Amino acid sequence: MTAVTAPELTRGLLDGPGPSFAQHCAAHGPLPVVDLHTLVEEAGLAGRGGAGFPTAAKLRSVAAAAAATRKAPVVVANGSEGEPAAAKDATLLALVPHLVLDGLALVAAALGASAAYLAADEALLPGLATHLADRRDPVGVRLHPVAQVFLSGEESALCAALDGRPPLPRTKFPPVRERGVAGRPTLVLNVETLARLALVARGNDLAAAALLVTRRMEIAGTPWVDVVDVPLGSRIGDVLRLDDAQAVLIGGYAGTWVEASRAAGLRLDRSSLAPAGASLGAGVLAALPADRCGLRETAGVVGYLAAQSAGQCGPCLNGLPRIAAALDVLARPAPAPSGLLRDVERWSGLLPGRGACSHPDATVRLVASALRVFSEELARHGADRCSAHTGRPFLPVPGSG
Amino acid sequence: MTGVVLWYLNRATGITSLVLMTLTVVLGSVVRRHGRIPGLPRFAVQGLHRNVGLLSALLLITHVGTAVIDSYVDIGVSSTFVPFTSGYRPFAIGLGTLAVDLFLLVVVTSLLRTHLPHRLWKAVHLTSYLLWPLAFVHGITAGTDLGGGWLLWLVLGCGAAATWFSVAALGARRETPPPAERAEAALTATSTAMSTGTPVGVFRNG
Repeated sequence: MTAVTAPELTRGLLDGPGPSFAQHCAAHGPLPVVDLHTLVEEAGLAGRGGAGFPTAAKLRSVAAAAAATRKAPVVVANGSEGEPAAAKDATLLALVPHLVLDGLALVAAALGASAAYLAADEALLPGLATHLADRRDPVGVRLHPVAQVFLSGEESALCAALDGRPPLPRTKFPPVRERGVAGRPTLVLNVETLARLALVARGNDLAAAALLVTRRMEIAGTPWVDVVDVPLGSRIGDVLRLDDAQAVLIGGYAGTWVEASRAAGLRLDRSSLAPAGASLGAGVLAALPADRCGLRETAGVVGYLAAQSAGQCGPCLNGLPRIAAALDVLARPAPAPSGLLRDVERWSGLLPGRGACSHPDATVRLVASALRVFSEELARHGADRCSAHTGRPFLPVPGSG
Repeated sequence: MTGVVLWYLNRATGITSLVLMTLTVVLGSVVRRHGRIPGLPRFAVQGLHRNVGLLSALLLITHVGTAVIDSYVDIGVSSTFVPFTSGYRPFAIGLGTLAVDLFLLVVVTSLLRTHLPHRLWKAVHLTSYLLWPLAFVHGITAGTDLGGGWLLWLVLGCGAAATWFSVAALGARRETPPPAERAEAALTATSTAMSTGTPVGVFRNG
């Protein structure tokens, strides 16, 4: 690979002429009236918020819950991008806000929703308010600012925030699809999922078979971050430039480290990533340059994730800080206290499945992948050496200068 | 003869019930503050709180039952549930009746806890802080054995323990930082502890 370009982009989400309603209408035409349930089912669209849940199943279950409780449902466009390494949702809302709003209007109509929300970073709201004013949606969209914390995008935390309560995740039962905003059945979809819905409804079948990727790499020592629209099934080696990379973080801070040589051959779809223990997550791909220390980077991220715990569940509140502090010691080029690595493994085993949300599970998975992929680095640290040649961190961690 | 047995049984169950209720309040305060009793895991403290509470309920039933059956003074069946209707010392007995009513509510809602909204259960459970003083004052005003000696000291000890632990439990909320600040504080404390090699404490999540 010679130049850093994404593979040929699908007629996609980011190549619109401009963000205004007039430009949007000129490029995409009016929003057709469609049978959304069938359409989404046929397109096989999966959610782009991180979990990759089939959108058709989500639509069906909210419709069923609404019928069972005789309460009009609420639809929520989730643009709260708590993941510091991701930028796709903000990019999407800045470049093609009307595709997102089209998607929201489609699901609101399909479900007979009584209220629609768009939750996004506060900085984006004034722009979005102007775009909203140009539209005549039957269900008015309410804009809601989201806190810049890691868990604010978790759907139960988001519903709590929309209800005016602190943005904290709650247990999975009753699920948000049955009891969400104001106790109503609630459909929460990522903004990218909604934008893809708007394209699928217009007959663009390829829209469901692509995903937005936030790429993060370094080219000749210069940081490079961008958002590209790539077809599902693309080889990671074609999306990222991996010449000087030692490992790839797939999925973001709730994701997995994979050796660069192995990652290059992986394809961006669930079945190809699963054997490597990875998933698409929030669509983040970060190629760690060879002159950084993978353990140092991971320790920084895990410290951030531990501090971002909602502090509600004992295992998370007590487990993540211990793991983070231990990882911080292991990330130093000095022999670590004997038994510390074993402690980390033991604590890691105690966390999964014991929190209200999957924050501890995901963090533990990231730590396990780092200890596996950077095992040579770990040995190097034991001999007082480290492969980092620069103190500049590669992965962004808010609040750490 | 039966009258004497009932009379002794009534006084004995009354005083034992008060001691156990005090113990329940103390244990509840420990549960509330996520505290520990040496040698017991946390869930066992919770179990102890529950079982001591149920035991005092059993004793209370005997206490009330013997008071009604004993015909020496006029305490009717209705005044078991309706306060201040007793012929014998209506005020003192009425306080006890109020306490019994509240106790019933607390026990029933706790047994049905998993089937009730958490807030409802909690609101009812908090009335225990009203229940205990009612029972205590009932014991002092209706009691006939408090002229002096070890029994008086026992009752005063109960009063001191319940007051001390109630204040500790009700004040505990202010000690726990709000969820948003907990994680960061835990991380800082853990990092410091680990770098100095001191053992890491347990952080409270509620």
